[in-house]
Amino acid sequence: MSALQTSDLTAVAAPRPVAVQMTKVDKYYGKFKALSGIDLTVRKGEKIVICGPSGSGKSTLIRTINRLEPHDGGTIVVNGITLDGSPTSVQDVRLECGMVFQQFNLFPHLTILENCMLAPRLTRKLSKEQAEAVATKYLERVHIGAQAHKFPSQLSGGQQQRVAIARALCMEPPIMLFDEPTSALDPEMIKEVLQVMEDLAEDGMTMICVTHEMGFARRVANRVVFMDQGEIVEEAGTDAFFETPKSDRLKNFLAQILH
Amino acid sequence: MSALPIDLALAWDSIPQMAEGLMTTVFLTVLVLTIGLPLSILVTLARMSKSPLLAVPAALFVVFFRGAPLLILLYLVYYGFGQIEALREGPLWVIFGSAFACAVIGLTLNHVAFMVDVVRGSLSAVPAGLIEASSALGLTPRETFTYIRLPLAMRYGLAAYQNEVVMFAKGTAVVSVITVVDLTAVANELFEETYDPFTPILTAAAFYWCFVNLIRLGFNALERHLNRHNVREATVKEPAPGAALPIDGAAPAAPVPPLRRMANFGRRTAPVKAPAPALSTATPKEHAV
Amino acid sequence: MELFSDQFNGYLWQMAQGAYVTLQLFAAGFSLALVIGVLVGIITLSKNIVIQAFWKVYSSIIMGVPSLLIIFLLYYGGSAMLSGIFGTDRSFDVTPFGAGVAALTIVYACYIAELVHGAVMNLPKGQFEACSALAIRPIAAWRHVILPQLTRLALPGLINIWMIVLKDTPLVSLAGLNDLVANAKIAAGATKEPFIFFIAASLFFIAFSALTLRLSARLETRFNRGIAEVKA
Repeated sequence: MSALQTSDLTAVAAPRPVAVQMTKVDKYYGKFKALSGIDLTVRKGEKIVICGPSGSGKSTLIRTINRLEPHDGGTIVVNGITLDGSPTSVQDVRLECGMVFQQFNLFPHLTILENCMLAPRLTRKLSKEQAEAVATKYLERVHIGAQAHKFPSQLSGGQQQRVAIARALCMEPPIMLFDEPTSALDPEMIKEVLQVMEDLAEDGMTMICVTHEMGFARRVANRVVFMDQGEIVEEAGTDAFFETPKSDRLKNFLAQILH
Repeated sequence: MSALPIDLALAWDSIPQMAEGLMTTVFLTVLVLTIGLPLSILVTLARMSKSPLLAVPAALFVVFFRGAPLLILLYLVYYGFGQIEALREGPLWVIFGSAFACAVIGLTLNHVAFMVDVVRGSLSAVPAGLIEASSALGLTPRETFTYIRLPLAMRYGLAAYQNEVVMFAKGTAVVSVITVVDLTAVANELFEETYDPFTPILTAAAFYWCFVNLIRLGFNALERHLNRHNVREATVKEPAPGAALPIDGAAPAAPVPPLRRMANFGRRTAPVKAPAPALSTATPKEHAV
Repeated sequence: MELFSDQFNGYLWQMAQGAYVTLQLFAAGFSLALVIGVLVGIITLSKNIVIQAFWKVYSSIIMGVPSLLIIFLLYYGGSAMLSGIFGTDRSFDVTPFGAGVAALTIVYACYIAELVHGAVMNLPKGQFEACSALAIRPIAAWRHVILPQLTRLALPGLINIWMIVLKDTPLVSLAGLNDLVANAKIAAGATKEPFIFFIAASLFFIAFSALTLRLSARLETRFNRGIAEVKA
């Protein structure tokens, strides 16, 4: 409890600028309400973990932040840009956010290096040499520089996901979104991906992660958000979240996931 | 000519004649499909046989009768066999002297050659694991083929077979060139009588369209029947939207085997269909139309 | 009739000229169908209800009718249709070749459009999403990510359609085109040697198919770079 208070106090003492502000966000799939009244503030440099059972809307939530899914009500502001659906705002927000997917989504017909160079060249208008330098830098950072000329299908799942992280980093976004980055991986590969993510966290990146890796959450997250049935049920500092869950739904969830 | 190029009165009057032509087309199609199916399975087995004595002739058969346009095959049978003196005199002339029989022979050769690939593709679509499992249960190779491989292959091959049947049914339109009075021949006769370039052809087209779509409907019904076991599974498995509990990732709702996942692009896992790539069902089977 | 007599060689020469017509017809029909088919295939990805409804009806009609009928329709009715479109004061001559190219284009553009449409739908959604997430604009995404993968996905189907178009070209001889098969028929009738000339014509088609199959295999290996799974 005391740990929570101190962290809360420091947050109050030095309020950092807001990176993502979601206010009363609603999202429907037809009649089904996928998100209902989501309020979430993420400050620069914070690491947020979102967890919850299947179908709770956590992937939908993270996908509304870079508008892979348009939201139907409420407002989302990302680094000062309001997502109002205009093409420029969408493009600007996507330049602010890097995203890592569950299924990697690497471009199969391009080499690892080309995968990382494509977006910087097209959207940042970098020259081939500049793009290659950036790509090499980030590929080395995720410890995969040696594989740069292979194709995605020649790498293991863990390696592919690290490439996907490097590809997002090459755009040098201030915010990184992770949508279940380890859920499609075999157990022995999860660690290498989490390690890369932890390194990234140490460097001060703003991170929003949907994940079931509770160990990762404990080590890295400042706050953890628990979602169920499209709502944020509980949101707390990491220690308080695991030590003193308040709602029954979170208690049940933790009991299941922590065995 | 009126604003509408179709002379409705002529179209209406031609319906009985067209219907007769359609009957010939339908009869021809059904007859060849009936003869063709068992023949195709036999030729496929020969083609897949380890003995070159069977496999090589079967392969040559497929290459020739698949590679040659149907029109040439019909000419070959109709004009070719007419030239053989011995045949003219012999008792088989009953067959080779009749245009209809020649059409059946030419169409069957072509159809069987195409079907070999359909049957072969369906048989090899049956997962090896199932065949191993049935051998492990002590079934003989013949029993495995009859009870496991063939029934499953029928399900996997249905889409390809439907494609072939549709292409084949449309392909029968060529038989009019060897004086078989099918639907196309009726349309041509009417054109020559009336010099109306639209009405007879469009009326015949409407008849063909109905025939082809009846075939499609029939196949859809058959597919639903054969796949009924899958349908039930799917409805049970699907969780209600927003249902709580099962944690995705821990108990994935859509399991993706690890190897498949890495090469995940290009193939979306189709829930019911065969492991054959989804594209092949969308494309027409190679066949002269 | 003697093999390789002057008369025989004359017929062979006629068939060669017919083969040239067949190839021209095929090349024109297939390339037009390819261009139009790809465009239509992309257009039909639109969610616009009018486009969808029109496409559904149109493709169902074209794919539900023998191509022979469409060849006849365009050959017999082509000049009336053109007069109807461009005004009746002018008259139009429709050649068998023109009608054949138009018919093959109309029919197979439809199949190619369906193929392209299907190939795009078969691309994992994640490819589009990754492009969006990387802020790659739609046109650039199509050019650099979607179309290259589409080529690979659609290639086997395209080869298939290529073969079908090839074997459909003889149908145009029934509208009076002097192609390979028409000339083979003349030669067979005149010499009473149907087997020789019809089999020769068949072998032309078989050889051409075999050649394209070989080329396509080479193309496929090229396009498949990066796809073949290498086990670590």
